Amino acid sequence: MTQTYVPRETAVVGNMQASVPAAASIGADSQNLTVQGVVRQFGSTRALDRIDLTVQVGELLTILGPSGSGKTTLLKIIAGFEYPDDGVVLLGDKDITSVPPAKRDIGMVFQNYALFPHMTVAENIAFPLQMRKVSKSECRDRVQNALNVIDMAGYGDRLPKQLSGGQQQRVALARAVVFRPKLLLLDEPFGALDRKLREQMQLEVCRLQRRLELTAIFVTHDQEEALVMSDRIAVMEAGKIAQIGTPESVYRRPVNRFVAGFIGESNLFEAQMLDGNRATIAGGISVRLPVSQVPADRNIGVLLRPELAKRLGPDDRADTTLTGKVQEIIFLGESVKYRVRLDEGMEVIVRWPCHAMEAGLQPNDRITIGWNQDDVHVIDWN
Amino acid sequence: MNKSFLASRNFRDGSSAAGLPALIFLAVLFVMPIAILFMQSFEGGNFEHYAKAIFDDLYRGVLINTLLIAAYVAAICLVLGYPVAYFLANAPPFWATAGLIFLLVPFWTSILVRTYGWMVILGRNGTVNRLLLDMGLIETPLQLINNVTGVLIGMVHVLLPYMVFPLFAVMKRMDSNLLAAAEGLGASRWEVFRRVYFPLTLPGVLAGVTLVFVLSIGFYITPALLGGGKVTMSALLIERQVSQFLNWGFASALSVVLLVVTLLVHLALKLVLKGNMQWS
Repeated sequence: MTQTYVPRETAVVGNMQASVPAAASIGADSQNLTVQGVVRQFGSTRALDRIDLTVQVGELLTILGPSGSGKTTLLKIIAGFEYPDDGVVLLGDKDITSVPPAKRDIGMVFQNYALFPHMTVAENIAFPLQMRKVSKSECRDRVQNALNVIDMAGYGDRLPKQLSGGQQQRVALARAVVFRPKLLLLDEPFGALDRKLREQMQLEVCRLQRRLELTAIFVTHDQEEALVMSDRIAVMEAGKIAQIGTPESVYRRPVNRFVAGFIGESNLFEAQMLDGNRATIAGGISVRLPVSQVPADRNIGVLLRPELAKRLGPDDRADTTLTGKVQEIIFLGESVKYRVRLDEGMEVIVRWPCHAMEAGLQPNDRITIGWNQDDVHVIDWN
Repeated sequence: MNKSFLASRNFRDGSSAAGLPALIFLAVLFVMPIAILFMQSFEGGNFEHYAKAIFDDLYRGVLINTLLIAAYVAAICLVLGYPVAYFLANAPPFWATAGLIFLLVPFWTSILVRTYGWMVILGRNGTVNRLLLDMGLIETPLQLINNVTGVLIGMVHVLLPYMVFPLFAVMKRMDSNLLAAAEGLGASRWEVFRRVYFPLTLPGVLAGVTLVFVLSIGFYITPALLGGGKVTMSALLIERQVSQFLNWGFASALSVVLLVVTLLVHLALKLVLKGNMQWS
């Protein structure tokens, strides 16, 4: 057994402390998961191309990628609904590569929850326990316990169709953890919920996962969701893991064009190295790179995050300076986005907190913007 | 229900005029005959015919026999039809299409033709007996027609599609995620079937059973030909009352009893459906 992963500190608040003793009976047998060199071939396309991945006990890892990137295939292989053409999957020390799903002890929450419509909430939650021949009285206790944990104590006799989307979601979650799975899988479980409820459920799932110290893998195409929920994010691109790291590192230090473009908003330019730590981008604009990131000679690009831009007055200076004309102003509530056409012809996006509105910029106004050396990030352009 | 129908806007604004011919058609050819049938059954102004139809051992026996045969047919159709429907719903497209054609071609063929076909196949000198005799498996021909066996074979053959189609419909709509979920939660193949797949196909099972049972109760041609006069079902009895004894009144009473029993069975199955399947 590896040591328990220590989750990052996040703003997990609320009433989770209240019923911690109840949690002891569910979801405490977490194991770490290791995926080694997994390959899955569909005809001539490689859906998965030598995937290596480790998830520590108690860690929530998000597999993030656009549709077709192979994330669902990877999830199916971990769950056992599909088998890899090459490579192994280990749960704890046990090789489960060819173990059928029923024998893996992995809890899974499906995209549409997959609650059994003909069973009540309590019967749904009891199902995995009955399959494990848990005695009737223990089964009843653990179901009751699970209902308490998801705050649905009075709902045991309802049918799934009598529940709201959020409640169904919680039942699906309870069913997936009630048998103390070694691993919890979540397949885009929030897709069907409206924004408010989704944010609430994201926090609830995070809380439960931390409290039960579950090893969890969460699959999504929603980068915002990934940033909110994960201890680490694995960004998938065309069957490969492009980058894996904490949400912060993936956002602030993406390794290549794909990751930089997929997570957050970005201004991306191909760049040529000049002397020292300077590079030029299209239009001959010179960009000063952070000292720590000066690359060896290879194809590079620069990432200029919109929110890191500074508006420059006539006397202000920045390491990288651009001038242009405001094309469009987009009000987003807490911030304002400006589309700026540079004198050199390219377009950049900058975003500032809402009070920037008070500067009174109008479309067609000329504007000078700059990025400090350390706010520029160098990426792999290939 | 009637009230809301009359009060509905559609009925008043005249757009339902298009449905008028159909309504007249139904009134003349369906409601009226049943009304006449009903009146005839009270010929003489008393319940004499009904008393005979219900309490006379002979006629009650035939009714029970009819219900029993219908139940057998429904049960056999279910056992045979379930795997067929499963195959059709899950086979690769080519085989599913081929299977559907095999099911549909007989369905489109006249019952009379198929019943005579069975007489050729199942007769004393028929294909089956010849084959079994030649192989030395039996020494004397099996009695496969002119008895209940023959009637059951013929009726099951005719009614099987009525069982398969409702089953096929629910199986085709089955959410495969539910099966995957059950498996992921630790259920063996058998448990997945027993606890999830089969219960979810119950609406199809009940629809098929109801359909086959109700159709069986009124079957005429097949029991007449394959029963060889030894298997009497209600429809045969009614026909005989009319064509041989010209006893229209009694025939009407028998018909009404059959109709009522059919409706009761239908209602009972519907109640089971409602009680068992609140989820659907």
